[in-house]
Amino acid sequence: MSVESIVTPADKILITGSNGFIGTRALENLLARGFFNLRCFVRPSSKLEKLQKILAQFPAAKNVEIVAGDLLSREDCRRAAKDVAVIVHLAAGFDKSFAGAFMNSALATRNLLDAFLELGKPRRFVNVSSFAVYSNFKMERHALLDENCPLETEPQARNDAYGFGKLKQEQLVRDYGAQRGLKWVILRPGMVYGPGKSDLSGRIGINTFGFFIHLGGRNEMPMTFVDNCADAIVLAALKPGVDGEIFNVVDDERWTSKEFLAARKETKNFFSVWLPYPLMKFGCGLWENFSKKRHGQLPPVFNRRRCAAEWGGNTFSNEKLHKLLGWSPKIKTVDAMKLFLAQYK
Amino acid sequence: MKLRIAIIGCGKIADQHVQAAHRIGNCEIVAVCDREKLMAEQLAERFKISGVFGDAEEMLKQFSPDVVHITTPPLGHFPLAKLCLEHGSNVYLEKPFTVTAAEAQELVALAEQKNLRLTAGHNYQFTLEMLEMRRLVASGFLGGAAVHLESHWAYDLSDPTYVSPILGSKTHWVRQLPGQLFHNLISHSTARLAEFLDDDVMVSAQAHQSVRMKNLGGQEVQDELRVLLRDGKGTTAFLCFSTQIKPGLNSFRICGPKNSLLVENGSGSLLLNRAGSHKSYLTYFLPPLKAARQHLRNARVNIVDFLRGRLHQDSGMKELIEQFYVSIRQKNAPPIPYREIVLTARIMDEIFAQIKPEDSAT
Ligand SMILES: NC(=O)c1ccc[n+]([C@@H]2O[C@H](COP(=O)([O-])OP(=O)(O)OC[C@H]3O[C@@H](n4cnc5c(N)ncnc54)[C@H](OP(=O)(O)O)[C@@H]3O)[C@@H](O)[C@H]2O)c1
Repeated sequence: MSVESIVTPADKILITGSNGFIGTRALENLLARGFFNLRCFVRPSSKLEKLQKILAQFPAAKNVEIVAGDLLSREDCRRAAKDVAVIVHLAAGFDKSFAGAFMNSALATRNLLDAFLELGKPRRFVNVSSFAVYSNFKMERHALLDENCPLETEPQARNDAYGFGKLKQEQLVRDYGAQRGLKWVILRPGMVYGPGKSDLSGRIGINTFGFFIHLGGRNEMPMTFVDNCADAIVLAALKPGVDGEIFNVVDDERWTSKEFLAARKETKNFFSVWLPYPLMKFGCGLWENFSKKRHGQLPPVFNRRRCAAEWGGNTFSNEKLHKLLGWSPKIKTVDAMKLFLAQYK
Repeated sequence: MKLRIAIIGCGKIADQHVQAAHRIGNCEIVAVCDREKLMAEQLAERFKISGVFGDAEEMLKQFSPDVVHITTPPLGHFPLAKLCLEHGSNVYLEKPFTVTAAEAQELVALAEQKNLRLTAGHNYQFTLEMLEMRRLVASGFLGGAAVHLESHWAYDLSDPTYVSPILGSKTHWVRQLPGQLFHNLISHSTARLAEFLDDDVMVSAQAHQSVRMKNLGGQEVQDELRVLLRDGKGTTAFLCFSTQIKPGLNSFRICGPKNSLLVENGSGSLLLNRAGSHKSYLTYFLPPLKAARQHLRNARVNIVDFLRGRLHQDSGMKELIEQFYVSIRQKNAPPIPYREIVLTARIMDEIFAQIKPEDSAT
């Protein structure tokens, strides 16, 4: 598993969000590559069973540090970043309010960056972002969405607090790069799936009205299996010569929404209704207009921008991942789906 | 006169204030302020507000707003409200109004001395069903003074985004409040009792920690509270705060010597309970039918209010802010009498003194 690396196993690597869905897989990936000088940042209220289970698999991991704290505290960030060479930053705000999402994504990142530059031995900051930062509002349906596509300029109109937080987080990282010489890599994973995450992505459909409405139709899903995604993140932390690069993370094989849903239903069938995109687009337009006219009496949860981003459909590419990081998905989609679906059995 | 508004504290609740103010008209949010300037910037950017500050005093000096909404964590309420009043601004202070009743009293005295107005963020007192309840009480529906009141308030622990950070850190601001979790969550349910009680209130409170909270790693944080109250006129009241009762109860009952009212805040319903007796088996048939008719009436009223644009998820806040602004323009009494604000704070002080866990007494 050895790759050319900007750090040696003696250098300290910090993983934030290390107890999360992707974070635990990233931790395992680093351990498997022989990196044991790790610091896992967790929140004090987190239940650490998953993380402990992974550490238990690696006898040499007994010196892995677990630091409990909150990235909203500058003091905790200092403890986390001290002497660290690389940060793999996965913690993020999933709060439904804009302020809440901004706090745990952008503000937390600002605190971490300051501490990293002050007390770390900074070589690279790996910022895990998301497809939520893109806007395909002005793109043709099914056009290629790659790293050069426009970013969302109106997250408020899209009613996407999470996307707003991630956009601001990315902006901060780029600003710290330009103004304070921070070396960074940004990864934007698509639809990450795997054991430990049982909800279907909103790109496939929604449950808002008490039954499942399938909205993805024949759209290609920007899917990436959690271990493959974690592998890309770890490579981005190690690989020389990729500072300042942005990578979309999707697997090689990508199913349509319909195929993904059918596979999910094979484990346990449930009722769903398919709504064709033109109808959904019409409905979202009506909802948005009503919401505006009535000053938010109905919150703008359905709107044109969201509709395009989630259900308009795009095609995707991972060419840059392959080329610059030398990444290729270790787990093939058939096997990945088996692992994913096993959690429902 | 177009009121110039400022907001101090740009966290989650600030969005609601901005949106409510936008719906009111004849007012403009001119500045926002947060000690963490990035927070002020994100709010200002989303709502296109020009003034962005990290320091409240600087903002007050530069903008002299007519009204300041203070939406910071409670420990900042008293000093910030005092600062705003001293700079000549009227103040809308989020709940809990202050940390102690003494602070509440001091603010009220200062506002009166400066001929400025203050209000507390008891917005649930101003939802459509609460307004209708108040109208009925004022019209004599109860048949005399209230005999008994009941206020239930529920909080759901299943969404960890609120409670996890609180449990995760002993230094979290909620843990610094004398009443901890309750302190941040019982203002609304206490305020509606204070409205109908006189100042001579006796309080008897009990609290404990639920098993669920214990399993979440709750340490000393209690989450179940029951309080009995009685005022000088003999009106009694019961307050129940619970994280465990499911489905969560959010209601207010006011019983008179003749008739009673029940406000179900969760469904925006008002149920009128009129005295009356029925012969023989009719007592089993007619009252349920009458109750069914009332539920149907509530559904109809809510649908009509929704279609007319009156029923809004934030109706209470908009109504309270609107009434507050009117009182400022017309130099009338503010929408929530100061007596009620101070009594709410006094009852809360007394509850927290009685339930203080052993280990935090030191
Ligand atoms: N899952 C996806 O489909 C997907 C797709 C694209 C991008 N991403 C990105 O990938 C990253 C990881 O996502 P995930 O799915 O693994 O999410 P997750 O399981 O929820 O993990 C996020 C972690 O961040 C931690 N965290 C949040 N706020 C924090 C704070 N203030 N201080 C310290 N830790 C904090 C959480 O701690 P607690 O455990 O204490 O809550 C949690 O462990 C995120 O940046 C996300 O935006 C995910």
